[in-house]
Amino acid sequence: MKRTIWILWPSFIVGGLGEVLFFTVFDPHELYLFGEPSTLSRMAVYTIGFFLCWAFAAASSAFTCFLQGGSREINR
Amino acid sequence: MKTSGAPADLVEQSLYEVRRTIHPRAVRGWFAAWRWALVWATQLVFYGTAWLQWNGRQVVLFDIAQRKFYIFGLVFWPQDIIYLTVLLIISALSLFLFTAVAGRLWCGYACPQTVYTEIFMWLEQKIEGDRVARLRLEAAPLSPRKFALKAVKHGAWIAIGLWTGFTFVGYFTPIRELWDAVWIAATGPWETFWVLFYGFATYGNAGWMREQVCKHMCPYARFQSAMFDNDTLIITYDRERGEPRGKNAISRPGKGHCVDCNICVQVCPTGIDIREGLQYECIGCAACIDGCDQVMEKVGFPKGLIRYSTITAMERKLTRAQMFARAFRPRVLVYSAVLWIIIISAGVALWNRVPLKVDVIRDRAAISREVEGGMIENVYRLQIMNTSEAPRAYRLSVSGISGIRIPGEAVIEVEGAASRMVPVKVRVAPGAVAAGTHRIEFGIESTDDTSVAVREKSVFIVR
Ligand code: SF4
Ligand code: SF4
Repeated sequence: MKRTIWILWPSFIVGGLGEVLFFTVFDPHELYLFGEPSTLSRMAVYTIGFFLCWAFAAASSAFTCFLQGGSREINR
Repeated sequence: MKTSGAPADLVEQSLYEVRRTIHPRAVRGWFAAWRWALVWATQLVFYGTAWLQWNGRQVVLFDIAQRKFYIFGLVFWPQDIIYLTVLLIISALSLFLFTAVAGRLWCGYACPQTVYTEIFMWLEQKIEGDRVARLRLEAAPLSPRKFALKAVKHGAWIAIGLWTGFTFVGYFTPIRELWDAVWIAATGPWETFWVLFYGFATYGNAGWMREQVCKHMCPYARFQSAMFDNDTLIITYDRERGEPRGKNAISRPGKGHCVDCNICVQVCPTGIDIREGLQYECIGCAACIDGCDQVMEKVGFPKGLIRYSTITAMERKLTRAQMFARAFRPRVLVYSAVLWIIIISAGVALWNRVPLKVDVIRDRAAISREVEGGMIENVYRLQIMNTSEAPRAYRLSVSGISGIRIPGEAVIEVEGAASRMVPVKVRVAPGAVAAGTHRIEFGIESTDDTSVAVREKSVFIVR
């Protein structure tokens, strides 16, 4: 439970920040997906973008948590 | 905070795992009244503002689908990110200032976590009864009555959560249209998703997580102590006056004023005992002050056994006036000065903001070419953004090289709060300048208001 909070919560904040910064600079309508202009609505791109940002940040948090375990835990 | 040593860590973790629901006793008093005033104020603003109209549109609308933010008469574009940055800096500095002066004022009175928890607890009390009744209900085995009470409570909480989620989304997509869409179940998939997401988060945070959010998730709770000093007003238990505590302090003069009634612990939303000194869990809600004051009144001792005070005031036994005089210390003065300078300059910048933005993009396809009469031509694309709400016409001009001009009529009309991309040809007479790159400047000026004008630099290339 505590780990879940550690992984999901800071990444939520950082992901949100990343989302705001990214989409302030880039307009979803100007993005290309695999070489094709995307046909998704801006709302869709914002939402998907947010969850991508969150997921990446969460992956980083999870990695940190994984590496953080002391020798006590690993040698067990 | 406990940072060292495994045993301490273990204790904290195990406490966390077996977290028991805290059932704070409701309090009345001066500070509770303030909190309720702020609950009303913030929520009226939050739930209400979304519905207000201005110039035929929503007063405050962060129209992310169109990438434009409307706040009263102002329209912000992504290029205005600087204002958002300044706003964040102002918020952060205000938080520092308030924290230095009076501790966690934000947490105790205005943080959404506190505000929604207050609302949710009020509902809980109306539905399940007071603290004693709730404790009894929790201990009781599941019965039809218990089930019904719980169902009503969660139903009410979810309703408030959904309304909050709806209002939140209503700031990003026009709320009246959203409202109409709700009734015919025609809200867009993304809007629906965010209403549910935000609604669920409200319900979870204010109904279930409560003080856990403050203790384990809030970054501010961890660094606020760095902004404290010995003159910061904090919730303090007057140990000297209170100890030795004892149940029958009234009849036994040898005892201090604390009658050990435990009210201060029962009312605490984070479940701590303030008599053990300031702890990072304390959100500064002052519920224990209200609670203890009631007790003091009842037993006939002066109020303020628990009160807002500072470390210095406690140590040196300062009067209230002396204590408040120390609020004006260098740290506070510097924070205030910086804050005011930023607020005033941002205000001035906003006031003088020209409601027009122009981006000049050189046409990369045709760098420089010769046209009829031997003239040399460069082609540009001008993105003209009218950030006022009225339609406007702009006259284009160009300067920087003698005889440089834009052929034809150069007046561009742009709708209110809209942008237009226009191709612009610029010509220079042959032989006017040598081959190479030359600086030029575009002038864009409103035809009916000469103060609405901007100049944008670019280059003219001659081959
Ligand atoms: S409420 Fe006041 S009197 Fe009662 S235990 Fe707390 S400090 Fe003592
Ligand atoms: S100790 Fe007092 S001020 Fe601090 S959280 Fe508990 S009730 Fe609120």
